[in-house]
Amino acid sequence: MGLEIRNLHVRTEDREILRGVNLKVEKGEVHALMGPNGSGKSTLANTIMGNPTYEVTEGQVLLNGEDLTEAEPDERARAGLFLAFQYPATIPGVSVANFLRMAVNAGRDEAIKIKDFGQLMRRNMELLRIDPEFSKRYLNEGFSGGEKKRAEILQLAMLKPQIAVLDETDSGLDIDALRIVSEGVNALQGPDMGTLIITHYTRILGYIRPEFVHIMLEGRIVREGGAELADELEDKGYDFVREQVEASGAA
Amino acid sequence: MRPSFLEASFMEESRRGALEVYEREPVPTWRRSGFWTTTLRKLRLDELEPRHHGFVTSLDELPGVVAQAVDLDEVGGLIVQRGASSVFSYLDPSLAAQGVVLTSLERAVEEHGDLVERWYGRRLSAEEGKFAAATAALWTGGAFVHVPRNVRVEKPLQVVYLIDEPGTAQYARTLAVVGELAECSLREYGLAPDIDGQALHAGAFELFVGAGANVKLAHLQDWGRGEVHDISTKRVEIARDAHCSWVPIHLGGHLTKQTLDIVCAERGSDMRHTGLYFTEGDEHLDLFTTDLHEQGDTTGDTVWKGALTGDSRASYEGLIQIAKGAQNTHTYLQTHSMLLSAKAKADAIPSLIVETDSVSASHGGTVGEIDEDQVFFMMARGIPRAEAVRVLVEGYFEPVVQRLGDESLETLVRERIAAKLVRAEDQVAAYSARR
Repeated sequence: MGLEIRNLHVRTEDREILRGVNLKVEKGEVHALMGPNGSGKSTLANTIMGNPTYEVTEGQVLLNGEDLTEAEPDERARAGLFLAFQYPATIPGVSVANFLRMAVNAGRDEAIKIKDFGQLMRRNMELLRIDPEFSKRYLNEGFSGGEKKRAEILQLAMLKPQIAVLDETDSGLDIDALRIVSEGVNALQGPDMGTLIITHYTRILGYIRPEFVHIMLEGRIVREGGAELADELEDKGYDFVREQVEASGAA
Repeated sequence: MRPSFLEASFMEESRRGALEVYEREPVPTWRRSGFWTTTLRKLRLDELEPRHHGFVTSLDELPGVVAQAVDLDEVGGLIVQRGASSVFSYLDPSLAAQGVVLTSLERAVEEHGDLVERWYGRRLSAEEGKFAAATAALWTGGAFVHVPRNVRVEKPLQVVYLIDEPGTAQYARTLAVVGELAECSLREYGLAPDIDGQALHAGAFELFVGAGANVKLAHLQDWGRGEVHDISTKRVEIARDAHCSWVPIHLGGHLTKQTLDIVCAERGSDMRHTGLYFTEGDEHLDLFTTDLHEQGDTTGDTVWKGALTGDSRASYEGLIQIAKGAQNTHTYLQTHSMLLSAKAKADAIPSLIVETDSVSASHGGTVGEIDEDQVFFMMARGIPRAEAVRVLVEGYFEPVVQRLGDESLETLVRERIAAKLVRAEDQVAAYSARR
């Protein structure tokens, strides 16, 4: 059970970005999707979540066998998908606490009791070492890069999705912030959640160890392996992968 | 049209002069660049007349819109004008004991003639046009507020103009004088139920903020969904080292043409002007504000935010004017309008006249739509589109609403914005999804 991407082709107005992506992320697993800038990683993340900017021309996105390819983003979220955004939007006038409550309630039939919500939020903020005052600020307004990423992981912790996609969560974080965010993700990771870490760099993989690594080039996954593939990439770089792929005539 | 009592001679003279202007001036049409014209072509002015009503002893005897917006326990004083008549008046006795006055302008002319004569019309001349003249010549009832020097009033002093009958012509005149170093909060509301037919509110509002005084002023307009036409001029003058924060809230009216001016008249005066409008259906709103700095060392800050649904039209034109010799003035003006339906149209026109040097003044205006990145972000958290849009619009207005600095009034405004968004939910969500 989990996320399955089948032969996904995606285009924007001017060009085809994903050219037949296949990927499975089961609950309980940690996957890393790596690739250079422009390879289509963020497009995949956005398409999984149903961003209307991207048009799926072929293929499917399934969660637990259910086809979500045509579903609205909010339906996907309520079904159990989560995307931690690379560049999360600012929501002026809406405090972190109010936003979290709205999001938590969106996934429930009955609104969460204020007291229960407060406890849940405090616990998760402690986990991510977030100052309690933070909850009163408007979401992402004036946040530093690190604060935005922590706010994303706080939302992940509150919403407890089945599949979490972390789009470049490591970018723009200093080592301390990266450690806190990674520890948070590790604490949340378990048999009920599958995680897909999307990253350009191997740095975050020193903190969150993936079981599976996929390398994307020009809209396709070109190599797959275990954690050792990330180490190889760290040593040899994307150009080496590119040359390998070209040599084998797969691209 | 003349009130029956014998009026102080200065007021009689003022009315006579104004009536000449009124009779001489044609009904105006206000033209703007582009598609914009505000015309009263459809207003059957000669079918409207002042409607007189008797006194009431409780707000419950008035149409529900008053009690829905005003809680007597939360105000220091209240005066209600229904149609042409003052029908309710209350002032906390402890305030009266300190010399605070809140009464009809009719009574003030008799009881506080010197004060009224000194300030009345000082910033708002009948010569300005047809409707300024109308309010000067034909006003009845009216409101007069006086907070004496050094007096601090905690609870707001409230004026309500109520229209509840089609065919009503209401000529409204409010004069507020706040003495040196005094502090108070003033409110003027224009309210109507959903009447079936036409009505006119012609309003004139003047506030004088004395040296070193501090005034929080709020206007709230919710004329319901009948054909209430509101043609008003509101003007605030701020004296030396005084401060005024003015929050006008426009929540509805068939046709509104308002001129809102705030004058930093002496050195050290400071103004915050933070407005909000939300138009729906086929409403037409035409606002012109001026932030005038007559002397130097003054500061200003104007922010106007609007949202439109339905076929509504809204134009906001905001002028910063810095007079000759008003050096070291710092002021800025920002306006933003958010279109929430395909057929709504908005204009946001900031402008600047600077007649001196050594000032800093900036302005900006935009007309935009809901940000789809924000909508997608919220939907990605499970929040349905319609709710996401509602929350984004509320969040957009929130900084203005918080400027009101009064919890129950803020709640009232939030609720009315939310209700408008619920009424327009389908069209707004469809408009947002379409893009």
